[in-house]
Amino acid sequence: MRKLAIASVDIAAGIAAIALAAMAVRDAYSATLIVPPDPSTMGTQNLVNNACSKCHGENGISVSPLFPILAGQLPGYIEAELKLFRLRARSDPRARAFMWGIARGLTDEQIKGVAQYFSSQPAVHGSASSNAALADKGKLLYESGKPELDIEACTVCHGHDGEGVNTQPRLAGQHRDYVAIQMSQYRLGLRENKVMQHVTEKLTDDEIAALVEYISTK
Amino acid sequence: MLAAQPARAVPPFARQTGLACEACHTMPPELTAFGRRFKLSGYTLTTRPPLVNDIDDHKKDTLFLTDLPGIAVLAQMGYDHYNRAPPDTGQPYPAHAQSDTFQFPDQFSLVYAGAVSDKVGAWLQLTYNGQAGSVGIDNIDIRYSDHTVDNKWVWGVTANNYLTFQDVWNGIGSYTIPNFNTVTLSSGGVAGAGTSGPILNALGPGSVAGIGAYVFYNDSLYFELSAYHSAVAGGNSPTIDSVSLAANGGAVDRFAPYARIAYERDWGYHSAEIGGSALYVNWIPSVGYISAQQQAAAALAGNTYTPGQTFNPGAINRYTDLSVDWQYQYNGPYNLFGFMGHVTHERQQNSNQLVAATFTGASSPIYSNPTDTLTQFLVTGEYFRNRHYGGLVSFTRTTGTSDPLANGGNGSPANQYETFELDYVPWLNFRFILQYDVYQVVANNQNPFNLSNANFPNSPGFPNVKASDNNTWVLGLWMDF
Repeated sequence: MRKLAIASVDIAAGIAAIALAAMAVRDAYSATLIVPPDPSTMGTQNLVNNACSKCHGENGISVSPLFPILAGQLPGYIEAELKLFRLRARSDPRARAFMWGIARGLTDEQIKGVAQYFSSQPAVHGSASSNAALADKGKLLYESGKPELDIEACTVCHGHDGEGVNTQPRLAGQHRDYVAIQMSQYRLGLRENKVMQHVTEKLTDDEIAALVEYISTK
Repeated sequence: MLAAQPARAVPPFARQTGLACEACHTMPPELTAFGRRFKLSGYTLTTRPPLVNDIDDHKKDTLFLTDLPGIAVLAQMGYDHYNRAPPDTGQPYPAHAQSDTFQFPDQFSLVYAGAVSDKVGAWLQLTYNGQAGSVGIDNIDIRYSDHTVDNKWVWGVTANNYLTFQDVWNGIGSYTIPNFNTVTLSSGGVAGAGTSGPILNALGPGSVAGIGAYVFYNDSLYFELSAYHSAVAGGNSPTIDSVSLAANGGAVDRFAPYARIAYERDWGYHSAEIGGSALYVNWIPSVGYISAQQQAAAALAGNTYTPGQTFNPGAINRYTDLSVDWQYQYNGPYNLFGFMGHVTHERQQNSNQLVAATFTGASSPIYSNPTDTLTQFLVTGEYFRNRHYGGLVSFTRTTGTSDPLANGGNGSPANQYETFELDYVPWLNFRFILQYDVYQVVANNQNPFNLSNANFPNSPGFPNVKASDNNTWVLGLWMDF
């Protein structure tokens, strides 16, 4: 391209052009360097609009059960998980496929901002169960645990109504399918968490189904 | 009828979004539930802020340039071995017939894919086609998309040059599985078993362009209305003539409406879809092979016909294609399973002038019947383990009314073949493919290689031909980066 430009003018002008170009380059070096913005410079609202909302919804209520509902989720939990994704320390298949890449360049401030944003969105709640017997069985397990198998009540970490505690997630209002898949991934060892792996390994399929049913009513 | 190139999955989307291939693809180019949503959202998800952007007085974006353009290379190589060497076409001198061909590359594409602004995305593809030996504009899809705050409604507009390229399921259209070269190598390539199909599969780059509007509700109900117009490559004149049309080709007259509806349900690791589509095309056919006799008759009437030219007066065939398609996917942590396919029924009303031979210079009719029908059935099952090893089995059967004048031979458009494929996928963007295509029936009286005396005047005695002569081994490599 440059050769073509020079060929089209006479040699003297060409030399002058090169000299000017060289000066421009030198001046550019002396000026303040402007580097392309790092992906992590996106503000919370931009991040939500361009990335998070595509799966989780602008209001934190995802349509597809592939993705968890974040509305009303505890900020401590969202923060903790995003940091795990960033560290690549949570490696269930969907975390790897989706969140590793999304979280890779997030700063602590961005993580905090996103966590605040979604936790402040109005939470949703489940609906009454069509299988009351199963839900009751789940309620018993949820509230009392199974001491003989060394399983504590779910309420200890997830709160009496599934509202969550500190960095332990809110379960109320979550997609039933999402909860069920997380349970199966804990059991398969695909999602790391010692307590939940222990719980899902000890419980039977029926008991897990009962818990999922009960949670879906909260 | 037309050689449309299949589309491919692309790394720029991964670079733009930070997502792994498997977020959007079970096995490229087949989409997951999320991949469908990403496409319908206009390819716009990104975690990268614009490198350059400008905002007007109302704080609205007036410019949004990404920091890296989403460019990718897609390449396919193929080595084909036919059951029997095709006949000698080197006329008048004998040529050396080989039973294999090396397509290196079979296809080589440069693609821009990704967000253009926060609500607009594009797929622009330039392809070198190994069989045609030329570079040309390939698939284009430009989308505007938006959604409601609660994400329940996603809507958009697409402008594209390939009917069905905009689709997000894989049982029908340009993304039908199997997707590796089965069109170009098995049916349109050197072996060329006459595998006729509906016009739905044939309106591609270099032939048409269309605009469509769609809505996607609750990640489940999809509805689209599109209209396609002829956009013939190589001519900027509204006139359709032999300069721009291929022999035995043609062009869409006015607008061809296309409607698509689909219902999808996702649960756990499963996703299932059932859909339907309707297409209506007024088609201007162009002159195919011209016999000396026809040429003489035309000359007597003061006309000279050249292949590709339209008939005088403008003859129009009317096509109505109705389809049902389905897809089931199991996308588990270790195993992938897919089952998809379609049934397309086509009704083709041939121009009276071409049936009764009343067009200028006519010496004989072009079609035997006023109305021809065609039904295509395709079903595919696939399995992959750990996204590394897998394979598929596919069955295609086409039947239709016999039209000796249109199809030659006994006039039957019928064909039936299976594709068996084994895949080794060391990386998701680098795939080795071993494919075997087995033919039971090929069009034109089971005439392998689509032989006709017109094409092979020196090989009248190609003896003992049978459908299985077309059976083909394909060793392929497919890479995107």
